[in-house]
Amino acid sequence: MYSYKTGIRLIDEVKEGLSPGSNILILAPAMSSGENLGYSVARPLPGEYSLVLSTVRRSVDLLEFFSSVNIDHRRIGIIDAVTKLSTPDIRDSTQVCYVSSPSDLTGIGIKFSSLVESIFAGEFPESGDTLFPPPIRFYIDSLTTLLMYRRLEVIYQFLHAITAKLKKMEAIGIYALNNESFDEKTLSLIKQLMTVMIEVKHEQNGELLRIRGLPGVSQDWVRFGISETGLEVIL
Amino acid sequence: MIRTGIPGIDEMLGSGIPKGSKVVFSLEPGVDGRPFMYRILRTVLSSGKNALVIAPGATKTAFCSDVSQLMETDQRREPGRVTVLDSAVRDGINSRSRGAKTRLKEWQKVIRETIQENAIEVLFVYFDLLYEDFGLEPALRLLPSGEEGRGLVTIVEHLNLEGDSLVSRFVSEGSFDLIISLHSAISTIPFFNFLTLEYVSWSQIPRRSIPYSAGGGTLRLYIPKIIVTGPPSSGKTTFVLNASDSGLSSDRGDADGFRTTVTMDLGWLHLRGFDIHIFGTPGQPRFDPILPQIFRNAMGVIMVIDVTRPDTLPRARELLTLAYAAKMPVVIAANKADLPHRMNERQVRESLKLKEDIPVYFISSLRRSDVHSVLESMIDHITRLSS
Repeated sequence: MYSYKTGIRLIDEVKEGLSPGSNILILAPAMSSGENLGYSVARPLPGEYSLVLSTVRRSVDLLEFFSSVNIDHRRIGIIDAVTKLSTPDIRDSTQVCYVSSPSDLTGIGIKFSSLVESIFAGEFPESGDTLFPPPIRFYIDSLTTLLMYRRLEVIYQFLHAITAKLKKMEAIGIYALNNESFDEKTLSLIKQLMTVMIEVKHEQNGELLRIRGLPGVSQDWVRFGISETGLEVIL
Repeated sequence: MIRTGIPGIDEMLGSGIPKGSKVVFSLEPGVDGRPFMYRILRTVLSSGKNALVIAPGATKTAFCSDVSQLMETDQRREPGRVTVLDSAVRDGINSRSRGAKTRLKEWQKVIRETIQENAIEVLFVYFDLLYEDFGLEPALRLLPSGEEGRGLVTIVEHLNLEGDSLVSRFVSEGSFDLIISLHSAISTIPFFNFLTLEYVSWSQIPRRSIPYSAGGGTLRLYIPKIIVTGPPSSGKTTFVLNASDSGLSSDRGDADGFRTTVTMDLGWLHLRGFDIHIFGTPGQPRFDPILPQIFRNAMGVIMVIDVTRPDTLPRARELLTLAYAAKMPVVIAANKADLPHRMNERQVRESLKLKEDIPVYFISSLRRSDVHSVLESMIDHITRLSS
């Protein structure tokens, strides 16, 4: 069975990565590196592909960001829920699809299916290592935004459908959520769909993360940083 | 009646949707309902009727641009006019009115006025945000009833996150006259999409699922497998090749010049709005071990018999047991009826011990029209009739 390396040594060394169908929730306060931590985990390794639902940044800004942090975006598909609000006529390309707003769950589902079909149809550039089924990392860069537009129960049902699809496809899901914006009921409902949780917090000496849900992996807070090469845990 | 413009669906429904009907397309997450909604919208506008679209999740420009991109057409050039109540209307109502009841009333008012002022004949509704804003029953009350609507046809698209329970509720409560759910058959890899005709109020059509393919603004219903089987030399290969727009035979001759199918005959055709693949089996008993696999996932069986050779009917009866086991619709093509023969329909029925609802057609598989009449009967059995 394929194993997804996370780039987080604590996970990769003990568990040799995550099994297909895993769902990782990144709980991080505002103004932290939570969103970028998500991009780091979602980074496609050779033979893999990534799909990103961007509810915060326009796809052009996201592509610039990928270049700035040395992420090869040729194997990344983007569902852009931002640009169409200001540019309604914009057209989909093979790797960038647009939905009218973060409230458009129908559109998000359609574009997700369309990008997955494009990957299976070989329309994304291949990396040389051809794996089947192609490993796919799906990242929602802000569950927070989705929850601002739609009711919790609706988002829960939508995520339930998406996670079931990811499991069938042997893909993994990564979701970033601002834990300061929602009550305990919201967080615990979303956590029900997750297999792994990474919490992020600020301290004077930098940012720390803690991993939950993986037996054998330390649950202690550890300092981390994100560079061009990826995420670095400082023990 | 209004036609949907989707040939297979119009065929299944008789000739379209009666005036005053309410229709819902219930979407599984990830399935694209736009080819259905946009195709019907385009058909309505091109027939000179005016349409109102309630799209509370998108701006009018974004909606119209999406329709133009997907259908590769400009709806402003159609004789009918389209009016859109979009996200700006929803935002306006939400900002002006406090409380769900007041907002609901305002929506009802704006919908009623827009319908009257613009002589709207067909209403298209993107339902899930209204459902979320007001709950199911109040949101359903927003859809004009038959009396209010005076023949207005309402077409609803709904992202169904509740699954079969919501569809069952729609059926049991008679919320809609036509309920079609759209599904994706995804396993490890994306497979195909299919629609299920869940309920039709104006016709006794049983619940049916049909795969479909969509792309480039076109939408085609798809019957992935019809089996053509029968005793050796009954004319199966001729049937498949004459039925098909493109076909392939695997007949091979022996040293005596006798030709027989050694694996399968394959054919593809487009008939009555359906893309159809037909698979002709070999007839000899030595191929029987592979037949259950060939029959697997087929949607119907055409049994070809040779009416000049009653001695071959016991073999046809053996093959029919496979079709009965798979509970598939069966149609009998009594072939070579253009040659001298003594069998009539009663004798065929008795010899094959056929149930009354299995049709028997006396044909010549050399004639394309004969072959197509058998296939049309099979399409009816697959899509409209109880099996």
